[in-house]
Amino acid sequence: MDIWHFTVRRLIQIIIIFFVIFTVLFLLFRLAPGDPISRIIDPDMTPEDATRLMAQMGLDKPLWMQYLYYLKNVLSGNFGHSFYYGKPVIEIISDRLPNTVLLFTTSVILSAIVGVFLGKIASWNKGKRTDTFMTMGALVTHTLFLPWMALILIWIFSYKFSWFPINGMISEDVWLDPSSGVVRKGLDVLHHMILPLSTLFLIYFGSYLLLMRSSMLETLKEDYILTARAKGLKEKTIRNHHAAPNAALPVVTSVGLSLAFSINGGALTETVFTWPGIGRELVFSVSNNDYPLAQASFLLIAAVVLFSNLLVDILYAYLDPRIRY
Amino acid sequence: MPLLEVDQLSIGYDTSDGYLSAVSDVSFSLEKGKSLGFVGESGCGKTTIGMALMGLLPPNGSVRSGRILFKEENLLGKSDEAMRQIRWNEIAMIFQAAMNALNPVHRVGDQIAEAILAHRPGVSKDEARHQVKALFEMVGIPKNRMKDYPHQYSGGMKQRAIIAMAMALRPKLIIADEPTTALDVIVQDQILQEAKRLQETLDISMIYISHDISVVAETCHDIGVLYGGQLVEYGSRESVLESPFHPYTKMLLSSFLTVSTKRADVVIVPGDTPNLINPLPGCRFCERCSYYEASCKLKALQYVTISPTHKVLCSRCG
Repeated sequence: MDIWHFTVRRLIQIIIIFFVIFTVLFLLFRLAPGDPISRIIDPDMTPEDATRLMAQMGLDKPLWMQYLYYLKNVLSGNFGHSFYYGKPVIEIISDRLPNTVLLFTTSVILSAIVGVFLGKIASWNKGKRTDTFMTMGALVTHTLFLPWMALILIWIFSYKFSWFPINGMISEDVWLDPSSGVVRKGLDVLHHMILPLSTLFLIYFGSYLLLMRSSMLETLKEDYILTARAKGLKEKTIRNHHAAPNAALPVVTSVGLSLAFSINGGALTETVFTWPGIGRELVFSVSNNDYPLAQASFLLIAAVVLFSNLLVDILYAYLDPRIRY
Repeated sequence: MPLLEVDQLSIGYDTSDGYLSAVSDVSFSLEKGKSLGFVGESGCGKTTIGMALMGLLPPNGSVRSGRILFKEENLLGKSDEAMRQIRWNEIAMIFQAAMNALNPVHRVGDQIAEAILAHRPGVSKDEARHQVKALFEMVGIPKNRMKDYPHQYSGGMKQRAIIAMAMALRPKLIIADEPTTALDVIVQDQILQEAKRLQETLDISMIYISHDISVVAETCHDIGVLYGGQLVEYGSRESVLESPFHPYTKMLLSSFLTVSTKRADVVIVPGDTPNLINPLPGCRFCERCSYYEASCKLKALQYVTISPTHKVLCSRCG
């Protein structure tokens, strides 16, 4: 079976799973405590007005009909209006999502590349000083509490040295200036991104380093490593060509999971750095009873988890021929 | 001068329980184009000898004394880089295919080409591919399977591919460590015949390592029987098989099944393998031996020469 066949099959499975999640989410929101319209009903409204409002929103219809309406709307890209912002949900999400993707995808990929590289070196020097130093360093940074780390970085680099902005994603003076071009705007975002990116990097690269290190140490015991040695290959070839591709497989899974969780798990980082991302918006919508926005955000998370799983599967199939069953 | 001459080789491992002497004072030699088989049970030191010849002992293992003369040069004095050049180029290995001897993420053809490219800097990738094609033909694998991965091969095909890989650089010596273990008897026989044919046509010397005396009996000119790290009997195939002297060799031969063997005739060697951390000064087999005498345990052993091509390590023989 070739890799395309494999991908299409996984894609069909993913669409089915998405519909199951969609249905469960729909039911969960109907079961959730609190009244969806209590937010928008004025205490001075007459009961007749309130009933009319319910009817307008379709809440007087039976559940299965509500489900079909919702399904139809979602399939046509209509996620409703946010109670809080009074704007279409899709607008809010398409506004916030790219910011989150920019920050988290960059940090996950960066920390994975550095982690895999350092983990490889650590395992190759097992028991030596390089290994001890790297393993200890990874353990320390990985176990630090993220908001604390973020605040320390802000305190040192923004407050003491004023090298980086304290919060936000853009500087208004740059973006409102009609003369500033794409490069200047891009550099401005990068300037704002460095501290949150460093925080995430420092917290996450350690886990990839430790994972790669232990995976390499397991792989080095395999018989095909002995074959490679017996073949008289150079140590560097054995490490990079024979051990690393096999050892990297668990790391790929871990990267996929991190990508999926960066959407919701990023709420803390986005809050500390007031980064206008989707994670912060999700927490906000839930605590505000903003049902349409919350429901759409959860669907988005499901979609991202499924999509990154697909990515991992394809990457796995590419790296390990045994998967393309 | 023989191609390979091993002289008084002793190898040990540092373990958490103490120093384990895995191989003690083993001497043997191998002429060009000939084959030698080592038999013995698990832990008798047969694989350790093979690894020492390749210079691939694990980090806790070391050669304590002795010499390994290959083409009149002592391999034990060589630098890591010099040994790397010798591996596969001069001394190759056939591994047990049931183990993961082939890397699962690379194509079989590429893994063989890699060995060629690593040792022949002048050879282009295309030329290497042509050579692999010829090797596949030689061992009888269809050449359209070059692009397959190891998991797409059957056990017998993997073993053939490993043999092809070992022959790739036309080495002087090939060490086959359990080359047919875990294959069914029919495939086992095909593989052994194939290896024997190639060895004879290409004039390669071979060392077979097996726990199965029938494998060695079928293929080798000389046979060495190992017990507890000692070479207890060593000689030409005919003399060892037809007139074995050491009690252990006799027991091994009578535990060897043939079609005509009756159930009651099979002898099972009783007892456990000896402890090699503080080995006895005398015979290591004495506790399992039916000819045991009190003096066997204590008296240091000397080889008894039966004929110029046959010697035995036993104080009760000769």
